[in-house]
Amino acid sequence: MLTTTTSLTPLVIGVLLGWTGAVKLVSRATVRQAPKTALARMLRSSERAGLVLRAVGAAELVVAVGLLALPGHPAPAVSAGVLGAGFVGYLAYGRAIAPESSCGCSANESAPITWRAFARAGLVLAGGATAATATGTWWATVSARPGVSLGLLAVAAAVLGGLSADLDRWWLLPVRRTRLRLLGHPLTGTSGGERVPAAATVELLENSLAWQAASPVVRSGLLDHWEEDGWRILLYSGVHTGRPVSVVFALDATTSRDTTGEPAVRVSIVDSDTGEAVADDLLTVRPRTVLPMAG
Amino acid sequence: MTARQDHHGLGRRRFLTTAALGGATIVGATALGGLDADAAFAAPAPSLDPAIATTSFVEGRITGITGSILEVAGSHGDNSRVQMTNATSVWKVRETTAEVIEVGDGLYARGVPMPDGTVAADAVWVNIVNLHTTIRGIEKRRLHLAHGRHELVGNIIDGTSNASYAGRAPTSDLSRLRIGQAAQVLGAWRPADDSVDIVRVTVGH
Repeated sequence: MLTTTTSLTPLVIGVLLGWTGAVKLVSRATVRQAPKTALARMLRSSERAGLVLRAVGAAELVVAVGLLALPGHPAPAVSAGVLGAGFVGYLAYGRAIAPESSCGCSANESAPITWRAFARAGLVLAGGATAATATGTWWATVSARPGVSLGLLAVAAAVLGGLSADLDRWWLLPVRRTRLRLLGHPLTGTSGGERVPAAATVELLENSLAWQAASPVVRSGLLDHWEEDGWRILLYSGVHTGRPVSVVFALDATTSRDTTGEPAVRVSIVDSDTGEAVADDLLTVRPRTVLPMAG
Repeated sequence: MTARQDHHGLGRRRFLTTAALGGATIVGATALGGLDADAAFAAPAPSLDPAIATTSFVEGRITGITGSILEVAGSHGDNSRVQMTNATSVWKVRETTAEVIEVGDGLYARGVPMPDGTVAADAVWVNIVNLHTTIRGIEKRRLHLAHGRHELVGNIIDGTSNASYAGRAPTSDLSRLRIGQAAQVLGAWRPADDSVDIVRVTVGH
């Protein structure tokens, strides 16, 4: 099994480097993504970063062809290992100086440098080292043990695919969607017995005439809220004729913007120091007229 | 007991409930907008009180807390001092008190400039974020979100996280969220692990 794995490694690493190298070399996205890569930060130039990315892509392609065509030869395997070590070093340096930037590992991806990029680069390094010890050719191994080989190759493809952020959209979201479909929505039953959340009461208040009436007095955001006898009480602080006041609203705790278009709100203004209700002419408020639309 | 704690005391609540229920009833709708967490990103209506001439805003990271004063380093290199008062509302995922504010937190504050250069805060929103995201995964305790190029974990907070579907009122029912949906997420950033505590997910807007 170990010999099989070893002799298949050049194929796996070769295909991976062939893919990432080809994408870097020929894709127009290389130029588009170059400014976002850590490389552009290191070289202080997006154009230079684009050129270096293309050059690395070409090198990857050469190594890939070598691995695939000369599997027993140590040179391509050692080169792959060197490339892998270079990637790990680049990622570590990029993460240190520009953690927000993307790695540009396959040029198409724009995800920031994460552990997955490190793991993939580490696998290239380990794969290069393993391939250097391979004695047989991968095609001889595949033809001799086709079942085991295909199984190992499938596992390798799954692992490398899972470590490639730019392939996520092809498998991660469909897998997650299927899981929801099979296992049910994990957030079913979060409705909490259909209670109207405080946020809905706040929203109802903010769309009420009472809020408009009290808005010249209210200064704070929501200070506190609680329920009593089916009422939801919302507390704000404010200033009225130069004195600190508490502005307190009471709304039916079971209503929301969905259930009523004309919210009934009780409102009272209380002097914060004396506790006395402030006599106010809030009730004289009139709905603001909607200004005519131009055109 | 401090005045701030008394603020939340049961006796005080009962007193304020009585005051509220004894107050005037005003029926009707308008579209003025709020001063709550959503409105942290919008300017409030100007005060008609002559005691309040201007409203100012402070935004940045808290670099120090001295008594009731927060030292804030703004995103544009400016520095401010924010004075907390007994009347200041504090939002950090939910309504809370100034004790939960920590050095390193992000801050968005609205208040009144004082002669000594401080800003007397009317309202403070701690670590508030409002992000345009795409839902990439749904789990029991969290959502996986993509915000631009960034993968983001949104923690679901029992009793706080709510959702608004297609312009309807917020509901605590999160079971209608779907993978792939564009979602506006209002929440509080957690500096410790760079995740976001979800307060509201707005989809189908």
